[in-house]
Amino acid sequence: MSLKLPQAPGAGLFKQGYSSYSNADGQINKSIAAIREIHQMCLTSMGPCGRNKIIVNHLGRTIVTNDAATMLRELEIVHPAVKVLVMATEQQKIDVGDGTNFVMVLAGELLNVAEKLVALGLSPVEIIQGYNMARNYTLAELDQLVVDEIADKNDREQLAKVTRAVIASKQYGNEDLLSRLVSEAVAHVLPKGTASGAFNVDSIRVVKIMGGALSNSTVIKGMVFNREPEGHVKALEAGKKHKVAVFACPLDIAATETKGTVLLHNAQEMLDFSKGEEKQIDAMMKEIADMGVECVVAGAGVGELALHYLNRYGVLVLKVPSKFELRRICRVCGATPMARLGAPTPEEVGMVDVVKTMEIGGDRVTVFKQEEDEVSRTATIILRGATQNHLDDIERAIDDGVSAIKGLMKPDGGKLLPGAGATEIELVSRITKFGEKTPGLLQLAIKQFALAFEIVPRTLAETSGQDVNEVLPNLYAAHSDETGEGLYKGVDIDGESADGITDIRQEGIYDMLEMKKFAVNVATDAACTVLSVDQIIMAKKAGGPAAPQARKPGNWDHDD
Amino acid sequence: MSLQLLNPKAESLRRDAALKVNVTSAEGLQSVLETNLGPKGTLKMLVDGAGNIKLTKDGKVLLTEMQIQSPTAVLIARAAAAQDEITGDGTTTVVCLVGELLRQAYRYIQEGVHPRIITDGFEIARKEALERLNAFQMRDVELDREFLLQVARSSLATKVNAELTEVLAPIVTDAVLNVQNTETGSLDLHMVEIMQMQHLSPKDTTFVKGLVLDHGGRHPDMPTQVKDAYVLILNVSLEYEKTEVNSGFFYSSADQRDKLAASERKFVDEKLKKIIDLKNEVCGMDQDRGFVIVNQKGIDPMSLDILAKHNILALRRAKRRNMERLQLVTGGEAQNSVEDLSPAILGYSGLIYQQTIGEEKFTYVTENRDPKSCTILIKGSTHYALQQTKDAVRDGLRAVANVLKDKAVIPGAGSFFIDVANHLSKANMNKLGAKGKTKTGVEAFAEAMLVVPKTLVKNSGFDPLDVLAMCQDELDDMEPAAEDGEAAPRRYVGVDLNIGDSCDPTIEGIWDSYRVVRNAINGATGIASNLLLCDELLRAGRSTLKEGQ
Repeated sequence: MSLKLPQAPGAGLFKQGYSSYSNADGQINKSIAAIREIHQMCLTSMGPCGRNKIIVNHLGRTIVTNDAATMLRELEIVHPAVKVLVMATEQQKIDVGDGTNFVMVLAGELLNVAEKLVALGLSPVEIIQGYNMARNYTLAELDQLVVDEIADKNDREQLAKVTRAVIASKQYGNEDLLSRLVSEAVAHVLPKGTASGAFNVDSIRVVKIMGGALSNSTVIKGMVFNREPEGHVKALEAGKKHKVAVFACPLDIAATETKGTVLLHNAQEMLDFSKGEEKQIDAMMKEIADMGVECVVAGAGVGELALHYLNRYGVLVLKVPSKFELRRICRVCGATPMARLGAPTPEEVGMVDVVKTMEIGGDRVTVFKQEEDEVSRTATIILRGATQNHLDDIERAIDDGVSAIKGLMKPDGGKLLPGAGATEIELVSRITKFGEKTPGLLQLAIKQFALAFEIVPRTLAETSGQDVNEVLPNLYAAHSDETGEGLYKGVDIDGESADGITDIRQEGIYDMLEMKKFAVNVATDAACTVLSVDQIIMAKKAGGPAAPQARKPGNWDHDD
Repeated sequence: MSLQLLNPKAESLRRDAALKVNVTSAEGLQSVLETNLGPKGTLKMLVDGAGNIKLTKDGKVLLTEMQIQSPTAVLIARAAAAQDEITGDGTTTVVCLVGELLRQAYRYIQEGVHPRIITDGFEIARKEALERLNAFQMRDVELDREFLLQVARSSLATKVNAELTEVLAPIVTDAVLNVQNTETGSLDLHMVEIMQMQHLSPKDTTFVKGLVLDHGGRHPDMPTQVKDAYVLILNVSLEYEKTEVNSGFFYSSADQRDKLAASERKFVDEKLKKIIDLKNEVCGMDQDRGFVIVNQKGIDPMSLDILAKHNILALRRAKRRNMERLQLVTGGEAQNSVEDLSPAILGYSGLIYQQTIGEEKFTYVTENRDPKSCTILIKGSTHYALQQTKDAVRDGLRAVANVLKDKAVIPGAGSFFIDVANHLSKANMNKLGAKGKTKTGVEAFAEAMLVVPKTLVKNSGFDPLDVLAMCQDELDDMEPAAEDGEAAPRRYVGVDLNIGDSCDPTIEGIWDSYRVVRNAINGATGIASNLLLCDELLRAGRSTLKEGQ
C-alpha cells in the first residue's frame, strides 16, 4: 500500500475535478478559438442589414433579436475567456447603452489578429503594450475626427440626427418613424432652456400593446398604465385640473404589527364592530375626498370597503403594484407618496390634467396626461405591433435610442463622428501610420490593432450583400482624398451607388464620439485581459441547484 | 514486511518515497505560482464552481481560492498564508523559496547526504542570511511622501499593470499617510475604508478624504446634497420591534384597534421626537445648516417620512465597521440611545452628497475637519476587475505601512537575494560553523536564494543565467573596493526586467519591505527543513462506508 506518486508537477495538487489550462498547452489559442465562434455569431447581426437570431433561452422563451447585448445575456456563456468579453459588452450596455455589438466585434477581432502575432512569436506582454499604445493614440485621434456637434440639445431635428443611426442598426426601415417618436418623447421631458444634465432615461416609458401596426404608435405626455382603475369611476371630467393623492400604504383598516384578535362577547358587539369599521373607513375616505382629491393612486392593496366609499365620493382609484411605477406617477403629478392613511396636506397632493381609460387594441389602459410641457417629467411611447417578439425588439431599439440621448446630454456628448464605417476606415490608415513611426516589436501589434478596425466597414458591406473586395479598396481610395472630403465617405448599405460608397452627410449617419471612445476602451481592456492570462484554473462545477444568476434587482436595502 | 501493522486501508510512504513526494509536491506548487512573480508575471484566471471569474497575480489569492489536496502543498500554502497575514506580501516568494530549497537539497541527498545534515546547514545559512539582511537594510532614508510613493509603486507593480500602478500608488500612499497618527506614530489600516463601485474602469479609482457609504437615503423626498451638516451617528432601532415573547392584542371595536395601532407607533415616534428636537436645537431657523443621521439599525418607512419632512437625510443599516470610521471622520460620537442627545455628540461634515449609479446609491461624507479616516473608492467595470484592484490596494497599503513601521527598507529587484547568495558562497564556512558535509546545506541554501531573481528574469522573457551572471560580475567587480576603504559605499545590484540587464534598485526606486523578506526567509527555511526531515507519510484509512472511495 502506498500513496500514488504525483506524476507531472501540478497533477494531484488540486482537489479532484479541477482542470487547468496553461499557455504551454496553447490556452490562448483555444480561448481565441472559442471567442471566434461567438464573434462570428455577432458579426452577422451587426449594422442595419444585420440578421436577426432566434434564441430559445433556458426558460423556453423565444427571443428574436439582433441586439448583441440581449443575445449574449440569454446565451449564458460558460467559457471564462468569452465571459470576459461578454462582461465588457454588459458594461458598455450599462454605461452607454449602445455600441454593444461594436465592443464584441472589435474585441473579438483584436484577439483574432493577436493570434497571428502570437504565431509570429510575439509574447502576449508585448502585444498588450502595443495595444495600449495604439488605444491611447486612437482615443486622441477620435477627437480629431469629430465632424459635427449638436449645439441645440432641445431641437427635435438635431436629436433625431443622433437617434436615427442608432435605431437604424436595430430596426432598419423604421428608423425615421422610431427616431421621431423618441425625439418627440424626449422633447416633452427635457426642461426647456437647460443645455444639458437633467435627463433621466427613466422618464421615457414604453408601453407595448399588441395589435395594430407600428405606424399607429404614439407618444403621450404623462404615463400609461396597462390596467384599468378599480371600481366604477373610470375617467375624470376633462378640461380641468384634478388633485391626486398617492398612498404607499394599503388603503384599508389600520392593522397592528402584532397579531390582533377580535374579542367579542355577544352578537351585538359583532354588529357594532363591523359598523365601527365601516364608519371609520367612511370618515377617512370622506376626509380625503373633502380635500378635493379626485384620484387616488394606491401602491399596496385597496380594501373593498375603502374602494366602495371612495367610489361613492366620486374618486377614481388606481392600483399600481410596482414601487418604481408609483415613484414615477409621483413625478408626473408632483405628489408625495404617503406612508400613512389619512387626508393629505396640500403639499402632498399632486395635480394632473387628464385621467382617462382608453381602449387600445383589446387592452384597456389608464392614461395620466399633463397638457403643459413644463409639468410632465415623463413621456410614454405607446408601441403597436403584431407580435410580442417584434414589440420586444422594437422596445430594445428605442431603449438604445434613449440611451443615446442620455449620452448626448453629457457635457461634450454632442460631438459626432462620421458613421457608416467612415470613422473606422480613417482610423485604420491613421493608426497604421502611427505604428510605422514606432520602432521595435510594438510596431507589429499597433499595425494589427489598426487592421482590427477594418472589420466594421467589412461587415457593413458584407451584410448588405455587396462585394467586400470591391467596396473596401474604393473606401480606402476615397479616404486618401487630399481635400479632407474623404472623411465623410462611408459604406452605402442600400447599394444605390456604383462603387458602394456614400456621403454620410447626405444620409445623416453619425456615431457618437463618447460611445465610440468608451467602446474602444472597453474592447481593448477586454482583449488585453484575455491576452494577459497565462493559465486558467477551473474548479469543478458546483452541484446542487443552480446559484442565482443575478442579484435581486434593486439595492440590498430595499423594503420589498 | 510480513506483518501488517496498519489498517489495510491506510496508506503509507516511507523514506525515499516520502521525501520524493514532498519534493515533487513543493516543486509542483512552485511551478504553478512562479509565473506570477514580479511586475512581469502573468495573470491566472480562476473559475470557481459557480462559473465566476477571478483574475489574479497574487499568490495568496490563488492559494486561498483553490482547494489544494496534496498534503505537502497544503503545508506550504499555510506557510504562505501566514506570511500574508504577518506582512501582507511575499507569498509567492515563500512558495518559490520552499520549492527551490527542496530541489537543491534533494540533489545532495541523492548523493548520499543525510537530510539532517542539510537542515543543519540550512539553519546556519539562515542565521547568516538574516544577519546579512540586517546589514543590507537601509535605515537612514527619509520616509517622505516621495519615497513612500516609490515603495507603493514597487509593491503595486507586482500586482497590476503599469498604468494602473501609476494611478494607485499615490492613492495608497496618501491613504496611509492620512490615517497615520503623526504624534504617536501608530497606524491602523483598518481605518482605511475600501469601497467598490461598479462603474468606469480601475484607472478611475479615487482617494476620498472622508467616507463613502454604499447606500443612500431611502426616501424620495430626502435631500440628496447637504452642506455644512451636523452628523448624528446612531445605533438605535427606529422601527417597530417585536416582543421576545409571543404576544397579541385583544380588541372588540375598530376604535380600540386604532388606538392599539397608534400606541405601537408611539414608541418609535418618541425617539424620533428627541432627534428632531435636537435638530431644531442646533439648526434652529438656520436654513443653511443641514442635519444627517447615519443609523446602524433600521428606520421604517413611517419614520423616514417624518425625517424627510424635517429635511433630514437619514441613512439606515450602516455597516458596523463604518460607525467607527464615521466617528473619526466627522468627530462625532456614536449613540446607543436617544436619551442623552446633546449638540456635543454631533459630528461635522462640510458636504454630504449622494451619487446614484444604476440602482446603487452611494453617499459621500466629505469636507470634514481633519478626518482621521479615509476611503479608497475602487472603480471597475466588472466584478473581476474590482476584485483584482481591491487585492492590489490591500497589498499596497500593507507595503507602505510596513515601511513606516520598520522605519527601514531594503533595495528590491532581487538585489538582496543576489547579494546573500554571493556572500554565502564566498563565506568562510568554518567560521560560520559549517564543517564537513554541513557545507552542502549552506551551498544548497545559497543556490536556492537565487530563485527569486531568476524567476523575475524568466518571467520577463530574458535568459535568467545570462542576466544573473551579469549581476554577479558587477558585484564581484566592486568587492575589493569595499574592503580597503571603509568609506566606499555598498553597491546594490538588482535585475532590470525591461532590458534584461543589471541595475541599481536604489536609483530605480525599487524597494522591498524589510519584514517581508525577513519573514519569507524564516518561514521558507522552516518549512523546507520540516519537509526534508519527514521520512514517513501516513494517511489514515478512509472510514466512509462507500466502497472504492
